[in-house]
Amino acid sequence: MAAVRCIDICKTYLQGDQEIKALDHLSIEIEAGGFVCLSSPSGGGKTTLLNAIGGLDKPDSGEVWIEDQRIDTMSKGELADLRLRKIGFVFQAYNLIPVLTARENVEFVMQVQGLSPAMRRERSTELLNEVGLAGLENRRPAQMSGGQQQRVAVARAIASRPTLVLADEPTANLDSKTSDGLMDLFEELNTHHKTTFVIATHDQRVMAHVPRLVRMLDGRIVDDIEQNAA
Amino acid sequence: MNTLRVLLMLAWRNLWRNHRRTFIMLAAISVGVWAMIFMTALTQGMVNEMVKDGVSALPGHVQVHHPNYRDDPNINNLIPMADTELSAKFAAAGFEQWASRIKVPAVITSERESRGVTLLGIDPNRERDLTFVDYEDIDGRFLEDEADKGVVIGRKLAETLDTDVGKRIVIMSQDPKNDIADRGFRVVGLFGANMQSLEETYVFAGKQTIQKLLSVGDHVTELVAMGDDYRNVEPVYEKVVKLVDDSVVVNRWFELDSYLGTMLRVMDGFVLIWVVVIFLALSFGLVNTLVMAVFERVREIGLMLALGMKPSSILGQIIIESMLLLVIGLAIGNVLAVASIAPLNSGIDISIVAEGMEMMGSASVLYPQLRMEDVILANVVVLILGFFASLSPAWRASRFQPIEAITRVD
Amino acid sequence: MNIILRLAWRNIWRQPRRTWLTAGAMVFSNVLLVFMMSFQFGMYSLMIDNSLQALTGHMQVQAPGYVDDQRMRQTVADVGDLSRSLREQLASDTIAARAQAFVLASSDERSYGIAIIGVEPHFEQKVSNISGLVSKGRFLSENDAAEIVVGAVLARNLRVNIGDELTILGSGVDGSFAAAVVTVIGIFDSGVPDLDRTLAEIPLGLFNDVFYMEGAGHHVVVNAPTVDFAPALQAELEALLPEDADLVVHDWDRLLPGLKQAIQADLSSSFFMYGVLAILVAFSVLNTQLMSVLERTHEFGIVMALGLKPGRLGRLVMLETVMIGLLGAVIGALLGSILTWYFSFSGFQIPGMEEMAIQFNLPARLYPQVTALSLLLGPGIVFVFSLLAAVYPALRLRWLQPVDAMRAA
Repeated sequence: MAAVRCIDICKTYLQGDQEIKALDHLSIEIEAGGFVCLSSPSGGGKTTLLNAIGGLDKPDSGEVWIEDQRIDTMSKGELADLRLRKIGFVFQAYNLIPVLTARENVEFVMQVQGLSPAMRRERSTELLNEVGLAGLENRRPAQMSGGQQQRVAVARAIASRPTLVLADEPTANLDSKTSDGLMDLFEELNTHHKTTFVIATHDQRVMAHVPRLVRMLDGRIVDDIEQNAA
Repeated sequence: MNTLRVLLMLAWRNLWRNHRRTFIMLAAISVGVWAMIFMTALTQGMVNEMVKDGVSALPGHVQVHHPNYRDDPNINNLIPMADTELSAKFAAAGFEQWASRIKVPAVITSERESRGVTLLGIDPNRERDLTFVDYEDIDGRFLEDEADKGVVIGRKLAETLDTDVGKRIVIMSQDPKNDIADRGFRVVGLFGANMQSLEETYVFAGKQTIQKLLSVGDHVTELVAMGDDYRNVEPVYEKVVKLVDDSVVVNRWFELDSYLGTMLRVMDGFVLIWVVVIFLALSFGLVNTLVMAVFERVREIGLMLALGMKPSSILGQIIIESMLLLVIGLAIGNVLAVASIAPLNSGIDISIVAEGMEMMGSASVLYPQLRMEDVILANVVVLILGFFASLSPAWRASRFQPIEAITRVD
Repeated sequence: MNIILRLAWRNIWRQPRRTWLTAGAMVFSNVLLVFMMSFQFGMYSLMIDNSLQALTGHMQVQAPGYVDDQRMRQTVADVGDLSRSLREQLASDTIAARAQAFVLASSDERSYGIAIIGVEPHFEQKVSNISGLVSKGRFLSENDAAEIVVGAVLARNLRVNIGDELTILGSGVDGSFAAAVVTVIGIFDSGVPDLDRTLAEIPLGLFNDVFYMEGAGHHVVVNAPTVDFAPALQAELEALLPEDADLVVHDWDRLLPGLKQAIQADLSSSFFMYGVLAILVAFSVLNTQLMSVLERTHEFGIVMALGLKPGRLGRLVMLETVMIGLLGAVIGALLGSILTWYFSFSGFQIPGMEEMAIQFNLPARLYPQVTALSLLLGPGIVFVFSLLAAVYPALRLRWLQPVDAMRAA
């Protein structure tokens, strides 16, 4: 069973008077445990696709499936539930809730899920260690660097043991060294936890990293290549 | 449960993110709540004094009269049942206080002056705790028993009549046949009251003396009973009704003095209106604060939605934040109110406007009355209306689209 | 439009919702204040007019001390002559002499203690509305006739009607026994229980004979065209009084001290409430303007780096507040006067108000009128409080350092 299946999806935006086809009869399938990079120039539709897969946005037509569930017809509440249990997100910026500490941010989703405090604590400690932030558990986002914040976001994204992690330009605000570290972390998690990763980016270094690279232009897939990991 | 804990924590921390704004809003709520309770305590105090004075000037919570007496307070409208028989019944019924009396209009004349007054023939021992007259604060002495041959008049009346303790005055009224009944009395005492009109209006004499003067034998015009609380006279009323037959009417005090009765009702309404008005004035600030808070946090609210938090939880979070703000504001406001009223409990002297207050029926010392039910009313109204006021910003926040919220660029 | 004005105007619309909420608090308070003040001021002048027009009048000439004790012997000698000469000298009709006594009035069936007033029938009609309130029979006409006009409740209590006789018993000015038999020719119904129950009027000439007054009376009522002219008239009147005659002039406030004080007591509790409303509006303004200043720290930093002085920025913030304040004041005053205008036709009645209205000589239904004072006072207070509230945010700018400010997000 594929982790993600999009069948003939379309999405049109109005920008000013101009109609923009963000997704144009696009179909794609991503296998479970895959590590896929979506790339396109700005406005090429990668973020729209990512949002459609994450249930943050609904396509105008077509079907979106996560495992065996069709999500484009789900209600807001069902979508919220789906994201809570199956999907982890890492965004470009503003990834963290400012009033919560690093640990609390990681625990946030687990807490909403209703996990016990002991379990949450154990898992957040483990995850923060794994992303290399041991000792910074009680810092608030404002007291951390951009790279550290993204690592907390990654820890949070996988905290609820999602089957799918969606990352939108996760390295955009990071220097090259930090972004390499972040990609290494993604890869490690992908192999270690068998989590499916879908990353939208136009960062060349990121593209070079991934086994499958999907290039998009004007809402269509123009190139879908399997490549050997660097 | 878990979600609630998260929401509570988020709401609490968010509340203190912009502490300046929170402090200003808290100050506004506290002042508003303080004003609600303080003003209410003052007006309740005023009404309370008015009613207490009014009831003590009537006096009696429940009164029994001949059906025609209220319209025509004349000696002809006597209670048909004999006083001794009535008294025996009432004495056995176990009232807090009760008394029977004769109350008729009369003219009092000194060597120099005449005035129209209300003549009360009373049993002084029964009236001790009923009347507004303080038996200990009398120039001369109060009546000793119901056969006392003297009269006790107000200080102001004595002054206008140019009379004093020990001097004689003449009282004129009519007997049931409308013959003029007049008699000389010696003034044995002068009483003081907190309202000048009381000192001018009432003249006390022994009940038996007056019965003899007016040739009414063993009869009275009025019988009164008192409970322990003027706000709750129904038990007394029902007890009285059972003791008398239908040759008389039984009235509660607020029927006898409709001004005071209305006053009490209007004031209860006023309290609610005042609380609501203050809240409405506050609500603009409250909604403003919440709207600012919500729009500053578009992104993180979007993030929480993206992470799988339900819109209803976002709604709840904003409402909890608003409720926390209100609860803290209420607490401070309540404390302020209690603290500012406590030192005033010995009374506020407003004698500058004494005559004006007398016109309204109130004495010139105001005792603020902090009633639990008013405090509860204010708090409950603020919380309920506050809840509704926060619905709109909270609803808006919960309708944010996660995607627009996150991807929005400044 | 001036550039600074335009800047301020655009600034307040950067956050329209916030501006409207802030102005909304002002509008709410202003509508309430305009309506309440129109209502109150109208009520007060009605209270004064209604209370004064029955008996008290705008001022009275009396013997010293009469105002406090109203003793029979505290008389004004030759009161009829005095009122006549005052009418001539002041060229006014609204001046009348009176005398007053307390008596026992007896009909065939009933006796009551009442106040009886001797009046000059012709001139009394010009100073008192009681003649106009005669609902049965007619008012007094001749100065010596053995006639009496009584209050409606008193007539009912005494069980008398037009044409019936009343015996009045009392003491003359010298303490001697005074008695007369008079015919009821009129019954008045003023709606004021105290008057209807205890008051009767007879001609002054008759009063003079019955109570052995020898021309003396107790006071001369003098009315000005309206109560506002009373103080001027009082000064004129005092100058006219013969110096050797031991007489004083008391204005209505002295004669009926409860009235002004009741108004003052009501006003002061109202103004406490209005003050609280204004303070709450001020907090709202403080919050809004402080937030607006803090949000713009970065922007202010830039213009200060360009060389603008903090004082000018402070003035800009004050100007923005003035604009929001004017918005709230104008809309509030407008809506408030529309609301008041509506009630000036339909009347306004608080449920259960009747009993309270009677206590203060008021009709049960009131028709509030917008006046310049009631229209401007409330919004003015709110406006001033709003400006005061903006002083702190404006002053904060003085401590702003351009570099720090620009670093702020």
